[in-house]
Amino acid sequence: MRARFYPLVRDLHLYLGLFISPFVLVFAVSVFFMAHKWLPKFGPETSTTRVAQALPVPAEWAGLSGRPLIEALKATLKAANVPGEVGFIRHMVAEKRMIIPVTIPGRETLVSLNLDTREATITTRERGLADALVTLHKSPGQHGPDIRMNWFYMRAWRWLADATVYLVLFISLSGVYLWYVLRSERTVGVILLLAGASSFFGLAYALSH
Amino acid sequence: MPSATESTVPGKTTSSSLLRAGAERCNRRLHYYTGLFLLFFMWLFALSGLILNHPTWNFAESWKNRREVDEEREMAAPGPGVKGDLAQAREIMRQLGITGEILWTTTRANPDLFEFQVRRPGHFYFIKADFARKRVTLRKDDVNLWGVIKVLHTFDGVQMDDDRNTRDWGLTSLWVFSMDVVAVGLIVMVLSSLYMTYERRPKRLWGSFALGLGLLCCGLFCAGLRWIF
Repeated sequence: MRARFYPLVRDLHLYLGLFISPFVLVFAVSVFFMAHKWLPKFGPETSTTRVAQALPVPAEWAGLSGRPLIEALKATLKAANVPGEVGFIRHMVAEKRMIIPVTIPGRETLVSLNLDTREATITTRERGLADALVTLHKSPGQHGPDIRMNWFYMRAWRWLADATVYLVLFISLSGVYLWYVLRSERTVGVILLLAGASSFFGLAYALSH
Repeated sequence: MPSATESTVPGKTTSSSLLRAGAERCNRRLHYYTGLFLLFFMWLFALSGLILNHPTWNFAESWKNRREVDEEREMAAPGPGVKGDLAQAREIMRQLGITGEILWTTTRANPDLFEFQVRRPGHFYFIKADFARKRVTLRKDDVNLWGVIKVLHTFDGVQMDDDRNTRDWGLTSLWVFSMDVVAVGLIVMVLSSLYMTYERRPKRLWGSFALGLGLLCCGLFCAGLRWIF
């Protein structure tokens, strides 16, 4: 039984670990960007503005908000050629205007839609790889669950982010098993495990009490 | 029993192969010793990340289940020697017996009225001080263990687009240092796993396939989407 179990766990640990390693790197590297407010620029940040006219505006927009509004505006955004994840929409009633933020990791687009003239001013900012990693790290996040993940690719990212967590849990447990089998490494391993546990619980206790 | 990374190819006992075997052994130890030391940190960040990505999971609800206590107390107005918002906030916190990371949420319009928040995992303090009346109102919200876990994931004392909020509590800096250590540890573990795969020839093909698939999927989101759309 053990003769079969060990190689199976070892291979799963190796191959699944290699598969998620790029995702782990995304989450690990972006920690430095977020915790230290440091966004390195690997190229110039560009911004372009254009105008789109004769856009289809949903007839029932006045009574809509949240996810139904986003769904109703999808045809408008498609006609304006603005793909991506739609964020919190600002509705300026007096000006009959909607400000629609649309995000693709590393790119921010702001669509200012005039509901009367059906004209939109579209400003696109290319923010680069570091910003993309931060966006991915924070997605989907804890805020706005009703409206978030309204673009297929970001829904797919949520599945992959979840899968990364489940695989990290599997890989860490299988890693503990693979280490435990190696008798010669147990003593140092146990010491390090205890040192890590006491650091973690000590810090968590000090922070929360 | 062979380890996950033990070389299966017999080599010549030259100095270079001995060096290589030594490097392989060191790399293997680095991989699992790093993993063992960071195990609980990794579990925390993985689990809390999952919970933060699913705010509709009711079992992990913390804010709606919080315990709220309001109180009003007398206070001594900070003296003329205590200058600046940070020093005054610290003085008020000292009088209230509160420690934590200060969060600035409002702009101060009236010099006699001072409003700020203090946070630490599990506890949220909303403080409004009136220097003229020498009174301070304190709202304290305590959240459950799920709330502590969620805050620990994001507790770094800074906000991306807000220069006013900076780290001002020693324990926050220590926690951010531990976040950095976990991130460096994960990068080390990934690199060491790549080296181990390279050293194990029979595993290279499928290992490269698994890594390539991961790179392709991840690359699509990091850069590919911008290229496609």
